[in-house]
Amino acid sequence: MKILEKKSWQSRIFDCINVLFLLLLVLTMIIPFLNTLALAFSSNLASMQPDIVLWPKEFSTEGFTTVWNRMRLYLPFMNNVIVTVVGTAGHVFLCSVAGYVLIQKGLPGKKWMLSAILVTMMIPSEAIMIPLYIVNKDLGLLNSLSALILSGLVSGFGVLLMRNFFLSVPYEMSESARIDGAGDLRIFFTMYMPLAKAGLATVTLFEFVSRWNQFTPAVLYINDPSKNTLQVALKSLIVDTDVTSSNFMITTNVRMAGIVIALLPLLFIYPFVQKYFVKGIFLGANKE
Amino acid sequence: MKAILKYKTLYLMMLPILAYFAIFSFYPLVRGLIISFQNYRLIGDRPFVGFDNYMTVLKDPVFWDVLQNTIVIGTGIFVINFILPLILALSLNEVASVWFKKVTQMIVYLPHLFSWVVVGGMWILMLSPDTGIVNQIIQLFGGDPISFLASDKYARSVMIFTSGWKEMGYTCILYLAAIVNINPSLYEAASIDGASRWHKVRFVTIPQLSSTMKMVVMLNVLGILRMFDQILVMRNGAIADKVDVVMMYTYQKGILEFNIGPATAAGFLIIFATLVISFVTRALIRYDEG
Amino acid sequence: MVKRKKFISMIMAVSLLGGVLAGCSSNSGNSASGDNKTTPTAQADSKNEERTLKMMTGVIGGKTPEENVKFEKEIERLTGIKVTMDKPASDYDQKLLASIASGEKYDLLQVSKERMNTLIDQGVLTPLTDQVKASKVLSDPSVIPTDEWDQVKTKDGQIYGVFTKYQGGTMPIVRKDWLDKLNLPEPKTLDDYYNVLKAFTEQDPDGNGKKDTYGLSTAGMYELQGFFSAAGLKQRYVETADGKLDVPYSTDAAIPVYEWLNKLYKEGILDPNFATNDTGKMRNMFLSDRVGMITYWDAWVGMLNNTRKGQDPQTTFEAKGLPGAADANGNYMLRRGDPDVWVIPANAEHPKTAFEFIEWWNTQDGIMLGSLGIKDEDYTMDNGKYVLTQTGKEHASDHGVPFWYNSNVEAPFGKLPGVQEAQDLVNKYATLELTPPNWSEAEKIINEYSFKAIMGEMPAADAVKKMREELKAKKLID
Repeated sequence: MKILEKKSWQSRIFDCINVLFLLLLVLTMIIPFLNTLALAFSSNLASMQPDIVLWPKEFSTEGFTTVWNRMRLYLPFMNNVIVTVVGTAGHVFLCSVAGYVLIQKGLPGKKWMLSAILVTMMIPSEAIMIPLYIVNKDLGLLNSLSALILSGLVSGFGVLLMRNFFLSVPYEMSESARIDGAGDLRIFFTMYMPLAKAGLATVTLFEFVSRWNQFTPAVLYINDPSKNTLQVALKSLIVDTDVTSSNFMITTNVRMAGIVIALLPLLFIYPFVQKYFVKGIFLGANKE
Repeated sequence: MKAILKYKTLYLMMLPILAYFAIFSFYPLVRGLIISFQNYRLIGDRPFVGFDNYMTVLKDPVFWDVLQNTIVIGTGIFVINFILPLILALSLNEVASVWFKKVTQMIVYLPHLFSWVVVGGMWILMLSPDTGIVNQIIQLFGGDPISFLASDKYARSVMIFTSGWKEMGYTCILYLAAIVNINPSLYEAASIDGASRWHKVRFVTIPQLSSTMKMVVMLNVLGILRMFDQILVMRNGAIADKVDVVMMYTYQKGILEFNIGPATAAGFLIIFATLVISFVTRALIRYDEG
Repeated sequence: MVKRKKFISMIMAVSLLGGVLAGCSSNSGNSASGDNKTTPTAQADSKNEERTLKMMTGVIGGKTPEENVKFEKEIERLTGIKVTMDKPASDYDQKLLASIASGEKYDLLQVSKERMNTLIDQGVLTPLTDQVKASKVLSDPSVIPTDEWDQVKTKDGQIYGVFTKYQGGTMPIVRKDWLDKLNLPEPKTLDDYYNVLKAFTEQDPDGNGKKDTYGLSTAGMYELQGFFSAAGLKQRYVETADGKLDVPYSTDAAIPVYEWLNKLYKEGILDPNFATNDTGKMRNMFLSDRVGMITYWDAWVGMLNNTRKGQDPQTTFEAKGLPGAADANGNYMLRRGDPDVWVIPANAEHPKTAFEFIEWWNTQDGIMLGSLGIKDEDYTMDNGKYVLTQTGKEHASDHGVPFWYNSNVEAPFGKLPGVQEAQDLVNKYATLELTPPNWSEAEKIINEYSFKAIMGEMPAADAVKKMREELKAKKLID
């Protein structure tokens, strides 16, 4: 409708400036990634030279072979895949269940449960690091991927989001189903879950991303290097490089190759969930 | 009792979730609270010492330094993460081309997907005065290279800016979603009244976004005191005194100095402050009415 | 209302549970500390201790998870002790703290001397003084020279830790091939160093036609002893004649050195990343022809040569240790690092076996495992001679013990190029440094103002004055 309006010249100038502004912004987003990618595909010594690198210098995959084969990044990578997939599936399911329960009208104690869950959102996990560790130890979870999967298996954020999605499903539908004799489980699985696909997709994306990026729990609960996860491995590769006790020459291309490998899975899922995401977030934001 | 029986399936469904929170949130919370009142030695007896740990923290000048850093950097991040996405969303909304809009949105959202280890690592490299691309560009235009991450002058701004860079796209999508949802008849009415584009933004779009803005404020306010990963990744000895935040203090007291009592006490001061801030903010912006 | 009560009772239950469990663990803590007091005798009595060990190590062990499992088995093969070895891939301190604080019981820990002191303060460790004295292996001066024990003794003469290896010291390491190429003599005074570093920056020592080299790179203030030696100043703390603690880098005598470093920074001779570098980044700058001098460990002279050679067999790359800048009287001063030690926690379940292991670690078999690695994995025996496998070569004879004290054990392959010279320098000029428990707080202040002085944000004299004031205000110097 706006397009059909006759545009004044001020309006046109504004459009130009606006697009330029956005292009500039997009550039500040793209250049860092281009720079990273180009460096990852440069040779060892070339990647250490000062230059504006937006295209590989002395194209080479040395960085990738060093980080993947010799530094064995594939181990933490595979662990990350396991934790992410299992953890995300569990998270999405449990948050949906909680979201469903918390939209029930007239459920006694609902308000209390809701506030309890809200309260958990305000506890920074770093502040209760030691007691959390003790819990994991008492449950015999230390040094296992289960500890990482359990950490954040339900989150207040996920519950609230699913609850908001379910709120947008007409409540009358479930009421009439109930009159027809359907139980909660059936209503949940056959009516709510299919109707909240966008919601499920959104929570899946959120959780997949935060699982993939999970850092502190892995630092805390895992001592066995064969159960190490990606972000911890990346941190010692990129940030505190002094802990990589090493007979390897870790040049910039090796570091950047590590980053590129870590980003790939996220980039893969991004377009798939993108179409649900905007719709999902819009629903989630709408009912707040 | 009858009520409980009537809803028993629902309670059963909720049970694992409540159990999870009890075990992994509330129990550690209570346990931590107890530790904060103990002289928590690693091995040996752990006598209760009243508020000693809290006093140790409150009397520590370092704590007040990091609190100041937290407030300055936290406020900066809060403001940039509120305004930048809003400008971006409004600006995107004015673009006619759907294709351009979509691609921009997608690209701008990208950094939100990545961990601070990755984003911080990339920016450390890009801001390096030697090989960093930012300084290469500055030199291209004849400037002198700047040690962004080693200088008191820039350190805090770098933290604020990189956070804005990372989170801009995420909040922007929240705003955009709300804009799409604005009733088109409002714009039509404005057009009939002869409103200019700016007037429509000013008097239709922005007021209609107020509840989303409230949500963004609430989300971001909670984050101020929790800031940790970013600082852990991007700090260094040269700027530690300007960028170390309260969470970092807890971490250092606990992990590097093995002082668990004071570290936990500091953690609880943070939790307490978070609660106060969020209640105050809720009241101030009348969040619950929105 | 019913539901409200239910919720409250749930919270109550949770908090009660919290109280009970907290009570439990502090009880068990009590009994552990009770054991502590009687440990020496209790240990002598417990002859029938199970021969198993649970240990946590930072650098000792296999280089990969798979190799670490073989490492455990190899220990069992050689000693008959069943070993579980936790070797975190990173963030060692964090994991160490979390596991001890939660009551996890280890028999043996590998820690730095600095960390050992914090652990002693917390009452976590078993004193080993009597056991060391009574030990045939450890009291033998040819295994560990008698003077060396002073490094790990507490003020009241107790020993809590036994060396895991010979630690060595740090020094400026130079690209000898660049010196030769530019016909420069080895520097001796601070002025010599300036000339060499300037030439490295400006005369294109790597011959690529670009001005892309720096003279010097460091990892922050990690190690500048070799330059502060020109003013006769010791890194970290010293005890003055009247028994007070002082930080020499915060005295007026340090001002000229800061000014010298500032000159390097201003003229682009010092790597501008020096403040944000960690040692890994610094090493890699050196390895990739970007910088001509770094400050680092003696053992790394060999590792650097070895690594670069592994990358590129034709290289002329040659790293060499230097004694640092001499003071006006021609005296050098280098720094010896804090040693890594084995410690036994007070709640260890097998303290006797743990001590037996420590003794074994200092014998031929133990040392070969810690250096060469695992038989038939890292090396093979051929007619009584050691032969390194491909894996063994990659691991560069370092599985936590690149060098050792025991003079009865010979290194089968000699040392990597440049190491012997560097170690000689350490033995000749290096002294131990004093690290009080609150060093990490002092370090922050020292770093902050040193960086300001070096980067020219503040005149060196002002920076030193402010540094001193702040150290005094926070009671970090007397």
